[in-house]
Amino acid sequence: MKLMIVDDSNIIRSRIARATLQSSLQRLQIVGLACNGNEAVNICVRKAPDLVTMDLTMPGMNGIECIEALLELAPRLRILVISALSDKATAIEALKRGAHGYLHKPFTDARLASALVELMEDLEADRG
Amino acid sequence: MADMTDNELKIFINAVTHYFAQLTREPATVRAAYLANGEIPHFDYTGLITVSGRYRGCVYFSTSGDALRALLLEFREPDRRESNLLDAVGEIANTIAGNARRHFGRELEISAPVTIRGVPEQIKSAVRARPFAIQLDWSNHDAVMVVDLALEE
Repeated sequence: MKLMIVDDSNIIRSRIARATLQSSLQRLQIVGLACNGNEAVNICVRKAPDLVTMDLTMPGMNGIECIEALLELAPRLRILVISALSDKATAIEALKRGAHGYLHKPFTDARLASALVELMEDLEADRG
Repeated sequence: MADMTDNELKIFINAVTHYFAQLTREPATVRAAYLANGEIPHFDYTGLITVSGRYRGCVYFSTSGDALRALLLEFREPDRRESNLLDAVGEIANTIAGNARRHFGRELEISAPVTIRGVPEQIKSAVRARPFAIQLDWSNHDAVMVVDLALEE
């Protein structure tokens, strides 16, 4: 399965990429690293990822807007929001706009793996 | 504008101690929390978040390059150059301010982090006269978090 990582922080993109080396995530192949929403849309068009990790607070197009843009391009895409924004209203809004999971920063590798595995299983079930 | 309460200050203290407890093998300890008079406390690297919406002000986290290199080592991040030190300090500030929304709600609108190296002119212009300063120790490194937040009435 193809994963795109969207976050304006280089160290967070790297952390997520390193976390995918865990055995439970071996089926994931990183096809793109985007530091903002526009870059994410471009990568989505070119690489057609199956899963996306999505930051919310980014300069330019924010994460919520990006979720909507990506789902318009690829309605079956699975999106895991990874954000420091810890209020319930933001999490609910992200889920309403189409995100499939919400992981708070700071996150551990174990929590990230668990959230991604859940999305991978959901996608596999959807594909039959 | 109304100033912060002790409980609101604790939200930020909990957010910063949680950050280090969650991501590193050593918790951060709070050495002092006080109203800063005069000199604005800072170290070489600062991540600054501007707050708007129902609240006004800023939150910043500041520490040394050595502390940030040690943190990146904890993350197993091999690239510990200047750009990643700035990235790290910005991400800490962003995480603390974002986590504070668990209490304040989305009416605490936060900016993307601005990262600053060295001379704090940008900090001075963002902070009011007497912000709350929280001095921290993490793994024998000094750091400070400054919270200047007021509710618009």
